[in-house]
Amino acid sequence: MATFKKISLQEAAGLINDGDFLSFSGFTIWRRPMALIYEMVRQQKKNLHLFEVNGGTHTEVLAGAGAVKVWESCWVGHELYGKLGEGIARGQVEGSIIVEDYSHAQMVARLLAGAYGLPFFPTAVSMGTDILNPKYDMLSKAGLRDGSNPKIPVKKYDVAKDPFYGNGELLMMPAANPDWALIYASQVGDEGTVRVFSQTYVDAEVVKAADKVIVIAEEIVPDSYLRQEPEKNLAAGYAIDYVVECPWGAHPTGSQFFYDVDADFIKNFYQVSKSKEAFDEWADEWIFGVSGHEEYLDKLGINRLQNLRANSVLGYSTTVKRGTR
Amino acid sequence: MTGNNNYAKVGEYKPIDMLACAAAKEVNDGDVVFAGTGLPMLAIALAQLEQAPNAVCIYEAGSVDGRPIDLPTSVGDSRCAYQASIAAGLAETFYGQLHCGYVDLAFLGGAEIDMYGNVNTTVVGDYAAPQKRFTGSGGNPDINSLAKRTVFIMLQEKRRFKENVDYITSPGWRIHRWPSGEWVHKKEVYGKYFFGGPTAVITNMAVFRFDENGLMYLDTVHPGHTVEEVRDNVGFDLNVSKVGGETSPPTYGQLDLLYKKVDPEGIFLP
Repeated sequence: MATFKKISLQEAAGLINDGDFLSFSGFTIWRRPMALIYEMVRQQKKNLHLFEVNGGTHTEVLAGAGAVKVWESCWVGHELYGKLGEGIARGQVEGSIIVEDYSHAQMVARLLAGAYGLPFFPTAVSMGTDILNPKYDMLSKAGLRDGSNPKIPVKKYDVAKDPFYGNGELLMMPAANPDWALIYASQVGDEGTVRVFSQTYVDAEVVKAADKVIVIAEEIVPDSYLRQEPEKNLAAGYAIDYVVECPWGAHPTGSQFFYDVDADFIKNFYQVSKSKEAFDEWADEWIFGVSGHEEYLDKLGINRLQNLRANSVLGYSTTVKRGTR
Repeated sequence: MTGNNNYAKVGEYKPIDMLACAAAKEVNDGDVVFAGTGLPMLAIALAQLEQAPNAVCIYEAGSVDGRPIDLPTSVGDSRCAYQASIAAGLAETFYGQLHCGYVDLAFLGGAEIDMYGNVNTTVVGDYAAPQKRFTGSGGNPDINSLAKRTVFIMLQEKRRFKENVDYITSPGWRIHRWPSGEWVHKKEVYGKYFFGGPTAVITNMAVFRFDENGLMYLDTVHPGHTVEEVRDNVGFDLNVSKVGGETSPPTYGQLDLLYKKVDPEGIFLP
């Protein structure tokens, strides 16, 4: 029995309120819920609080559109196709975005605690770094650690002694429980079972940590098919609230076994992300200039997409030109 | 192997080839290596084709011991997971592999480094009001915290080799114990979780290592460069008393492997 509600991209974006606390599937430029991100920009969302292990092209689209108020993370860029996260960087330098830096494994710890229903997760990673320097606790500086927002912990971290084996001091990282998990998944069953292909990143933790989950799926398949090999699945159907069927929904980021990263698209986006004016012009063309995802795909064109299509055995495109030779 | 172990001459290879070959030499056979995007991928792939066929590679996005037949362009790339023993996620790589102590060697990068191997990849200027933001920490400090040996691959410039980095993103041999801020040896902060730390810094000019006090010294200088030139491109008082001569340049066989087998598409080696 399907427990999720099947909705459109417009309806999915309409569920997100200004100021909501969001997390995402994927890793840098892989399996990001791009079609939903574009629709959120079309609907002019504002003051979003992003919580993510790392940022990527989706983060930069939201930052460029002026939709981000707080970014809790640790890395943003487009890998080989754009070395910095220009929109987040500009926001941090200008003071329009509150940036709270952690490390990858500290962010993973926060999501693990959130996913497992624990208040915190202990870890020894990245001790001795300025991430822990009290004068760089930016949410505290902004007066946002007063307990009034249930999504923001009253401390950035704490330190405690191992009470059992005498292993000394460890960090305690507070749980994160976002309002929304915005997930792009390879396949969703008609009863909501979720499967992703290849590396799973922190997708399962983001699903479980969030209060509500929207999945945009490359394809919807019979649940009975996914249940033949349950060990390959990421999440149970009852954890999913809304599903949008959305082929090519991760473009320009990549989706293993469906399509590769659109390097040229991201390289061009990186260039325009360097100024507000250039971003706005780009957004007028690629976000506001199309009525929705179908028109976006029409604009990209079949040949471009065909070139990105993954080889069904290897899981990635063998036709796309990646280097200089 | 092509069998040609003669050294290439200055001018016959690019700085990036030198970096990849010098980094590859740091890999011991059987090492569990945690690598990031770019040069580290070239180094581990070259090492696996040469002296370290049993070295395995973990990429933080979730692949453990992958055997890519096409060079990945980033650590999240599906190519990383080809023929992997495990394709999981970050909880597996950071906690199931790194935190429990499996990782022997890590290759990392940085924008700034100090004499203790503290690295900045976060901001220029005061963090609370920065002049410029870099990409941020990513997994750099986590991996550097808990790998037994870390090799940093960097550009040699005075503004990057600094007395004090603007922000300690990644922990070297002497660090702050937070929240008090006391300045102590890494061992005192990490306790039972002290597994090692930075062992080498490889730049376009030289190879640096760290002494028993965790202080950087100049080890070898690449062909075509001099000790004075290196010193002029370091912003702190560099120990040059232990210089062990010239770094071995790439061999013709290694260059062949790099351009024909490791990166035939010209992704990182244009």
